[in-house]
Amino acid sequence: MRLYLAIALLLLLPGKVLADSFTVDRVYHPYVLPFEREVEWRLTSRQSEEDGNILMQRISFGHALSEYTILEAYIVGSRDESGDFGVAGYELELRSMLTEQGQYWADWGLLFELEKQNASNDWEFKGGVLTEKELGRFSLTTNVLLVYEWGDTVPSEFESEFKMKFRYRWIPEIQPAVEFYAAEDFIGVGPAFMGIKRFDKQKQLKWELAFIAGLNGDSKDHTLRMAMEYEF
Amino acid sequence: MRLLRQTIALTLITLVPLHAWSALPEVVIEIRDHLFIPQTVRIPEGKKVRLVFINHDSSPEEIDSFDLNREKVIFGNSKGSIFVGPLPNGRYKFFGELHPNSAVGYVIVSDEEKTDAD
Repeated sequence: MRLYLAIALLLLLPGKVLADSFTVDRVYHPYVLPFEREVEWRLTSRQSEEDGNILMQRISFGHALSEYTILEAYIVGSRDESGDFGVAGYELELRSMLTEQGQYWADWGLLFELEKQNASNDWEFKGGVLTEKELGRFSLTTNVLLVYEWGDTVPSEFESEFKMKFRYRWIPEIQPAVEFYAAEDFIGVGPAFMGIKRFDKQKQLKWELAFIAGLNGDSKDHTLRMAMEYEF
Repeated sequence: MRLLRQTIALTLITLVPLHAWSALPEVVIEIRDHLFIPQTVRIPEGKKVRLVFINHDSSPEEIDSFDLNREKVIFGNSKGSIFVGPLPNGRYKFFGELHPNSAVGYVIVSDEEKTDAD
């Protein structure tokens, strides 16, 4: 109940403003490990009748700065109107773990992101709260984020995003889930899967796959997202 | 960043029910020569327990358990805690990710009155 109250309060903060540049992306867990180093690749393909196919890929490198904080740097690529794929932007992401796993009623973390578009002087800053609540073999993860955009071609405005994942920890390699996303002009839900394959020592490969269907609007709006993360 | 982290953590902690502040049952597990001692610990069913790992080795160990849904690094010559439960009866495996062949342990959750948790 406490988690839901906190989420409700945070959702009230930005009022009616919700993210209009929203893309379905990963739901973050509020955990960081010291010595963590990772390279990651993400793909998001959104198919809608209004905009056709929007393809976006991200490649990142992350390194733990301390026992509780990790910094990741991203290069974001997307396909433009003429079908060419190129660098769309750059992003820095700082994720911090606030509480130990299982210490309190839920686990808490923070996320901060700063993104700049490559072709224009447009910026976006995100900050928010990550939570995870363990319910037996299930885990409920939420991300509540406040977004501020500014620049030459975008109006300066606050927005917000809400993401949620309800996961069943079946076996390490396969963990089915349901994901839910809410932002301006977008509400989506769909099945998701994630898994971890361990190799030697701290080396492990994490994968995620989700298919999110937009629930608002009368036309087709589907997003397929994939992510592969190698920790070493 | 550290100040912000501490401020938010303190705010969140104030939201924790008072009973959470009462001392949790504890079980101490030592790490020596990349082995868990004892290798198996018993904790009560349906109660949150703090597993205190004391690492006597100079190298760190990363405690990992899919069964317990926990991951935690214990630095060399230091100690750290993992909070587990409340859990149903069962046998839960954990291992040291940096020495997976030797560092293997089990948490046995039982409804017996006598456990290793003080």
